[in-house]
Amino acid sequence: MVDATSGRRASALALARLSKTFPGTRALADVSLSVAPGHFHALVGGNGSGKSTLIKILAGVYSADRGGSLHLGDESFDVEQLTPRWSREAGIRFVHQDLGLFPELTVTENVLAGSPFPRRRGGIDWSEARRSVQRLLDALEIPVHARSLVRDLRPADQTLIAVARCLRDRDSCGVGLLVLDEPTTRLPADEVDGLLQRLSAYSSRGQSILYVTHRLDEVLSYADTVTVLRDGRHVDTRPAAQHDRESLVAHIAGHAPAKRQRRPRTSFGPAVLSVEGLRGGPLENVTFDIRAGEVVALAGLVGSGRTSVMQNVMGAVKPRGGSVSVSGRRLRSGHVAEAISRGLAIVPEERARDGAFLSLSVTENLSASTIGRYRRGGWLRRTDERRDAERDIDTYGIKGTADAPIARLSGGNQQKAVMARAMRSAPVVLLLDEPTQGVDVGARADIHARIDAAVAGGAGVLLATSDLDELLHLADRVLVLADGRITSEASGPDITRTWIFDNVYQHEKEAST
Amino acid sequence: MTSQDARTTLEMPTEKPPAEDNAVPTTNGWRPSLLRLTERFGLVMLLLGVAIYFALDPATSATFPTVSNLRNIVANESVLILVALAALIPLVAHRFDLSVGAIVALTSIAAAKATTSMELPILVGVVIAVTIGALVGLANGILTAYFRANSLVITLGMATLLGGVASAWSGHQTIVGVPVTLTNFGNGLWFGVPRPVYLVIVAALAVSFLLGLTIFGRRLLSVGVNETAAHLVGLPVQRTVALAFVASGALAGLAGALLLARTGSAASGVGVGYLLPALAAIFLGSTTIRPGRYTVAGTLVGVFFVAISINGLTLAGAADWVEPAFNGGAVIVAVAVSSLLTHRRLTGASR
Repeated sequence: MVDATSGRRASALALARLSKTFPGTRALADVSLSVAPGHFHALVGGNGSGKSTLIKILAGVYSADRGGSLHLGDESFDVEQLTPRWSREAGIRFVHQDLGLFPELTVTENVLAGSPFPRRRGGIDWSEARRSVQRLLDALEIPVHARSLVRDLRPADQTLIAVARCLRDRDSCGVGLLVLDEPTTRLPADEVDGLLQRLSAYSSRGQSILYVTHRLDEVLSYADTVTVLRDGRHVDTRPAAQHDRESLVAHIAGHAPAKRQRRPRTSFGPAVLSVEGLRGGPLENVTFDIRAGEVVALAGLVGSGRTSVMQNVMGAVKPRGGSVSVSGRRLRSGHVAEAISRGLAIVPEERARDGAFLSLSVTENLSASTIGRYRRGGWLRRTDERRDAERDIDTYGIKGTADAPIARLSGGNQQKAVMARAMRSAPVVLLLDEPTQGVDVGARADIHARIDAAVAGGAGVLLATSDLDELLHLADRVLVLADGRITSEASGPDITRTWIFDNVYQHEKEAST
Repeated sequence: MTSQDARTTLEMPTEKPPAEDNAVPTTNGWRPSLLRLTERFGLVMLLLGVAIYFALDPATSATFPTVSNLRNIVANESVLILVALAALIPLVAHRFDLSVGAIVALTSIAAAKATTSMELPILVGVVIAVTIGALVGLANGILTAYFRANSLVITLGMATLLGGVASAWSGHQTIVGVPVTLTNFGNGLWFGVPRPVYLVIVAALAVSFLLGLTIFGRRLLSVGVNETAAHLVGLPVQRTVALAFVASGALAGLAGALLLARTGSAASGVGVGYLLPALAAIFLGSTTIRPGRYTVAGTLVGVFFVAISINGLTLAGAADWVEPAFNGGAVIVAVAVSSLLTHRRLTGASR
């Protein structure tokens, strides 16, 4: 057990030369980082920079590669042997973007969840439980009643309740390290400051905090120290006071010129997809066109509604308003089958959940959307189905047999199959939601080649990706989505890393001032 | 709790998760294929083993392997097979139909009333039974598909409701006096084989083709495996589910008519007992032939495995508690084993 010791320590957390390799990718390479005791230390970086991998290592979800070192306080740990239990016993506590609260329960129940409740005569001593939680809330200066229901609290206070749950083990500030992973993503702008002031106060009272965020302004205003990661590597660590917005963006985006491996296209056909005033879910008013032969990428923060755009256009959910037209003809909203017959096709974000039929064979997966093609007098022509499957397996380079359950294939090959299925109907508009997520480098290149081929054949593509390199490589035009609207747009050579960072985060700045 | 949270929420952020390239396709060495053979034909071999055992065991060798006993078994199981085929169809789409037993009870009363007090032709009586079954199935289907209600709860409620209707309609009386032509069909032989067997063969072939060789069958399967994905590839999920219940109800109605033909009488409580044995047969069947899928062939193996075991044990002098105990045990073991096998097959390894 490594609890906060009262003696002077050089650092609360010290990582040296930490790496993490996955088959095909190196998510973290030689990263060193040290959080000083009582410091509010911000960790920033774009998607794919390695932030999440680092957090998962601290949480014990992943072990790191051999060779790095990890110290918490005075104790060192074997980086190849990390478990969630290790993380907890080492005194690291997490507040994730999803707070993990029970909205229908009281503050007391939420704060004490997962720890032994005080007991009296075999039952729970509720009055003692409430008193202890109220003491904790008062000590943390959280202006909330222990009896309140969590769902009645303001979002920022809910976040603080999640913090209080982390800190309950020591009445005041004393767990080894408090890690907050993008806690402000879902907060209204006016509540963010209150939350950060409180966290900053905890750190000045001695609590070490590692704070992961996308929002640069909060970093500049509240953090003591900022570490920037990019492409799995440590880029820079310095006091926040030495940064301004431009220097931070430059560090996150990198100075490397955006490499557009592909020859930029300049001539496009007529609009194949027209979306007008689309409203639904987080979308307030989304309007855009995609032309034949064009790849349009949607950029935006987590939760900005990129997936909602896809789902609404496809008709998988019924929008509150607005219209979607394919090749000039308006679609009835909420009819996936009609959307497909008019030439839409989707590769959904979560393959296992929304894309693949895991226990069905590769053949059955490939023909799922075009099964009607094999109807012959009421019967299914399985030999034809099988022949087409063999052809797709060959064309798309899917490594697997036609009869194997698709679950037996690797992630990349599953994704190629889902992609092949979408292409079966020769779509006019292809909706690709994170098309290479969880896919190795080879499969990624294959999928990109298929996208290029589809575009060359005159299809329009709507691409949502968190992978900046992919976006830069594929997109002819980028739309930035924020607060349910398209807030800016760039095309051709104007699409650069800096432009994207500036515009994705710029909007945040305007919203919070 | 906190570590659990860590696991689920940490998977949400937008960075690339690790490439899932560890799901290596199995090699075609003899070991895996031998294992797979054992898995596929395990229950079939067990069925043969049980049959051989009772044929040789001195306690049953005089009574078990006789033509009349085998005729008795297949004729007795004919109603159960139709009920199991009925429940099988929605189950492929991952929906339970717990009302099949109650539909059997209701439709056997309907057919009895039609052919006795109403003096309608036998064929009309059968059509009435099938139609009532289909209508009940339509109600089940609309409620589960379009109201998005849980099929377990809806069909359990429907079963209870139909039980009440059946009691009221029969007036708590056993209806007798069914035309002889009908009971002759239920108990006579054609070419030495009990007549209901021909009906069962036709029904089994029809359901088998429906599931394996029609567009509808593929849709059912797709919906059952991943409903979200089925929706996103444009399959008519709701219509498919509703039609599955209609088919199930109609087949259960046919089973009701066959039950009347077998017994020559109808009473309200009789059909309900077919539900659990039918589910037992289906789940047992899902562990064999094509493990992990609900199939007609597997279901037939399941029916006869249970039937032959119980028949042999009864001939050997076991008490009447054997039947429910065996059926219940079969459901539990079959579901546990098939869940485990499905998980291992999907993850490609033992966890």
